[in-house]
Amino acid sequence: MTFRWSRWSPQLALMPAGLVTLVAFIGAILWTIYLSLTRSRRLPEYEIDWTDWGRQYERLFKDDAWMISLQNLIVLGLGSALAIVFGFILAAMIDREKRGESLFRTVFLYPLAISLIVTGAAWRWIFNPELGAEHFIHSIGLTWVNASWLARPETAMYGVILASVWQSAGFYMALMLAGLKSINSEIWSAARLDGVGLFKLYTEIIIPMMKFTFITCAILLSLGVIKAYDVIVAMTNGGPGQSTYVPAYFTIQALSAKGNLGFASAAAVVMLLITAVIFLPLVLLTAWQQRRSGARG
Amino acid sequence: MTDLTATQKALGAEVAVRSAPYFPRKKKAITGRSIAVLAFLAICALFFCIPLYVVITTSFKTMDQIREGAMFALPNVWTLEAWDHAWNTACSGTRCEGLKVGFWNSVSILIPSLVLSIGLSIVTGYALALWNVKWAGPFLFVLFICAFVPFQIIMFPLISMTATLKVYGSIWGVAIIHAVLAMPVLTLIFRNYYKDIPQEIMSAAVMDSGSFWKIFFEIILPMSGNILIVVLILQITSIWNDYLIGVTFGGLGAQPMTVNLANLITISTGTVRYNDNMAAALLTAIPPLVIYFFVGKLFVQGITAGAIKG
Repeated sequence: MTFRWSRWSPQLALMPAGLVTLVAFIGAILWTIYLSLTRSRRLPEYEIDWTDWGRQYERLFKDDAWMISLQNLIVLGLGSALAIVFGFILAAMIDREKRGESLFRTVFLYPLAISLIVTGAAWRWIFNPELGAEHFIHSIGLTWVNASWLARPETAMYGVILASVWQSAGFYMALMLAGLKSINSEIWSAARLDGVGLFKLYTEIIIPMMKFTFITCAILLSLGVIKAYDVIVAMTNGGPGQSTYVPAYFTIQALSAKGNLGFASAAAVVMLLITAVIFLPLVLLTAWQQRRSGARG
Repeated sequence: MTDLTATQKALGAEVAVRSAPYFPRKKKAITGRSIAVLAFLAICALFFCIPLYVVITTSFKTMDQIREGAMFALPNVWTLEAWDHAWNTACSGTRCEGLKVGFWNSVSILIPSLVLSIGLSIVTGYALALWNVKWAGPFLFVLFICAFVPFQIIMFPLISMTATLKVYGSIWGVAIIHAVLAMPVLTLIFRNYYKDIPQEIMSAAVMDSGSFWKIFFEIILPMSGNILIVVLILQITSIWNDYLIGVTFGGLGAQPMTVNLANLITISTGTVRYNDNMAAALLTAIPPLVIYFFVGKLFVQGITAGAIKG
């Protein structure tokens, strides 16, 4: 290096980012893990009773609301997976038909631009028990339909799922559409020549070819489900009762409303572990993808 | 750290690169199957439009008409009353000054957040991509992991830190947290963009006695137009739509518009004015929607590149 400053400037320029990573991420995570072992309530305490270090975790898994949260996490995950299926169907149809592609893309993707609070507000209003869609459905004679899902604990979660699918289906459609377009166009004509049925073509050729796209979508979806917070606040506030609690909501509730720091920290640590479990396949998948493309090139 | 590149490619580049060969389609008669497909797509499009339709019509109705319960009917009398209420007098908590407070808070949060988050990550991405720095690989890997960390696990420490720095509850507190949380993903986006710059250009620039900052401002920044606009749009929409950071770090004085809206719609006392609520929801949604309808393509590129941000 001829210019002396060149050697130091890059290192100096990386200082802020390095500091942020060390303090705001790594330090903060360790801090929260430490707090989860203490008896902290409203204010942090830094003494750990080593004979009873797991007490917050014990309390956590005895807490009904937490168990509901975990259950809802799975329900929400499975329900939101419909967005991937829906997104794929939309993408496949748009890709085959081609007419009106940009119009449909625009319509299916616009929910993504809107805040989840707005999405929640809109669906909360549609599900309104007195004046909402139910009233309309009853007025046209279908009085046996229950459309005020958010008012009942058994169905409230389905309302949340519907709103999340509405919000995110377009995003998966965009990913799937990109995946479909990258498929060699000769496959379509080859399939036609061989007389392969359309259904068979998709289930046995196209979908297996797109498995990487599907796995990517699944991982992104799971990460989104763990982070689900805004939509719960806007639609149900965790209610009725505690029927729509999810871990993200539970943790923040424990911290800000109940002022229970050690307890909330324990919940956050479990959230981190769940994320790590989802994250691991992503790393493996990337490594696998890497090796495959490496072998090809 | 090529594995990061692969993931970014998988997540980001897929949509950006649409390499389908274009064949001029022969004019063919519309088939029965086409009609069925188009009909299905149209029904789905209708499903996607229903909430927007309901929100828009409700916001122009009077409360009297809303009480009749015909949700999907058009307004009898089109009135801007609800919009006026939502903007000027709607209550958020105990303050009844409308959403305009939150709107201006959101605007003043947006600007420093954009400057801080993009400034921090563009320099970091540039240094990591084009300069030989020690630990660049491990650092990138750590950033990749940080991009996935759930907010809840760093929430309390960040509150304590901002309180110690005396920025908790202010515009700057919210802006700093936006910059911190966006840093990993944005750095990876910038780094992936810059790493494709040929090494020869860099060697020539260094030979030309270009310093780190000189090269950045004279060579790199002028050629980052594409990526900057994508990141800018990604950040504008995600900062505007953010609720969690705003409600956690905004205190009472720096609540963005989404927080006001959430307070308004979850209020449980008194008679609920649904038309006000829907007008407020629309007011909050308009800025990102305008961006979406004007530069939708760039928006989608940004959202896919930043997908891991969740």
